[in-house]
Amino acid sequence: MFVHVDPAHDLAIYDQIVRQIKFAVAHGAVGVGELVPSVRELARELAINPNTVARAYLQLQNENVLETVRGLGLAVAAGADKRCRQERGKLIQARLHQVLSEARHSGLELAEIRKLIEAELSEI
Amino acid sequence: MEPAICLKEVTKRYGSQPALERVTLEVPRGVVFALLGENGAGKTTSIRIALGLAEPDAGEATVLGLASCRQGLKIRQQVGYVSERPTLYDWMTVDEIGWFTAGFYPDGFLTRYRELVHAFKLVPQQKLKALSKGMRAKVGLALALGHDPELLILDEPTSGLDAIVRREFLESMVDRAAQGKTVFLSSHQIAEVERVADLVAILRGGQLLLVERWDTLRSQVREFTLVLPDGAAPPELGGEILSRRNRNRQWQILVRNPDEQVVGRLRNDANVTGWDERAPNLEEIFVAYMQREGSDVQNSILPVEDCPTSQTNCPA
Repeated sequence: MFVHVDPAHDLAIYDQIVRQIKFAVAHGAVGVGELVPSVRELARELAINPNTVARAYLQLQNENVLETVRGLGLAVAAGADKRCRQERGKLIQARLHQVLSEARHSGLELAEIRKLIEAELSEI
Repeated sequence: MEPAICLKEVTKRYGSQPALERVTLEVPRGVVFALLGENGAGKTTSIRIALGLAEPDAGEATVLGLASCRQGLKIRQQVGYVSERPTLYDWMTVDEIGWFTAGFYPDGFLTRYRELVHAFKLVPQQKLKALSKGMRAKVGLALALGHDPELLILDEPTSGLDAIVRREFLESMVDRAAQGKTVFLSSHQIAEVERVADLVAILRGGQLLLVERWDTLRSQVREFTLVLPDGAAPPELGGEILSRRNRNRQWQILVRNPDEQVVGRLRNDANVTGWDERAPNLEEIFVAYMQREGSDVQNSILPVEDCPTSQTNCPA
């Protein structure tokens, strides 16, 4: 499971990590019971402050996406894959909301916005 | 536990040139603390004073609870220090300088030094004078980490170095922090600092403009881009305006701790036809602080006659 962070992104780094891990769990890149990299490993790999990784992992534990495995570290919790799939939709919807709000504020009409969405969907 | 570094009202002048003006800051244990500032802002001077390599004209400095002015040697034995351009004995090899330096530290230094040399992919038998800038920097870092110091001080560690070496330095810093050690770095590489810093401080003309947790600062500062009618008064957003400029009808404002009510009113104001809000990055915040009208800075530089005398207060 690979994580990529962009300090210039409008989302805080820890938030990017939380989301990417949830997405990875949602589509099975890392399975239930499988270990995630340790705080130290991931901080080193991404060249970011370990507290940032720790904060992301703490949030994921609080949301029952990760759980501690004694002596080994953190692993994907049971049922996390289902939970993450559900939440994946909500997370993406929140991002869509931001984009659509911006579109409305830019002065575009709903019909135009819809056309743009259709165009993008046919591209993917 | 005492802080890793403590500067209290530290003042230093070189002739009539102020290098540091009543700088007060505290570096807690176990954090990555980044000191930002232009060339000549006083970053190296603060480090030298902390390490006992220079004496302040006023104020006091302690490192790991030890007084910088009296216990400098003891401090330097417990701290890892990488200066901007480490001076090494060029005729020695990578391994020899490790062996030589090991004599100043307790057992274990050479083993750790050799492990780091290996991890940094340096060649132990290579003469230091044959090394590139980046490799020399890594030797400096290995020498600083050999005794597993509680505090690592880096002065512009990666200036002039390629991306790979910069990355290796970052990873080392991250690793120290993950082990609960303290890292203090002065740097120009703001993008790097942004990734790894817990706390950031900005020094300008010898004055400390701010010391704050980076995640706190990040959540406090916002950049607003508004479109107002021609001739409108400069928009107010409460809080601390870091920069405000306009071009045609567009205004761009960087503000720390904006007043949410004022922002809300403005957002709903019919005269405001464009609205964009974003979180600026550390470089943008830094530049804003650097380019601010320095009225505070001017007023608090003391005329030379009023300088406190060189009675440094050394804690007992």
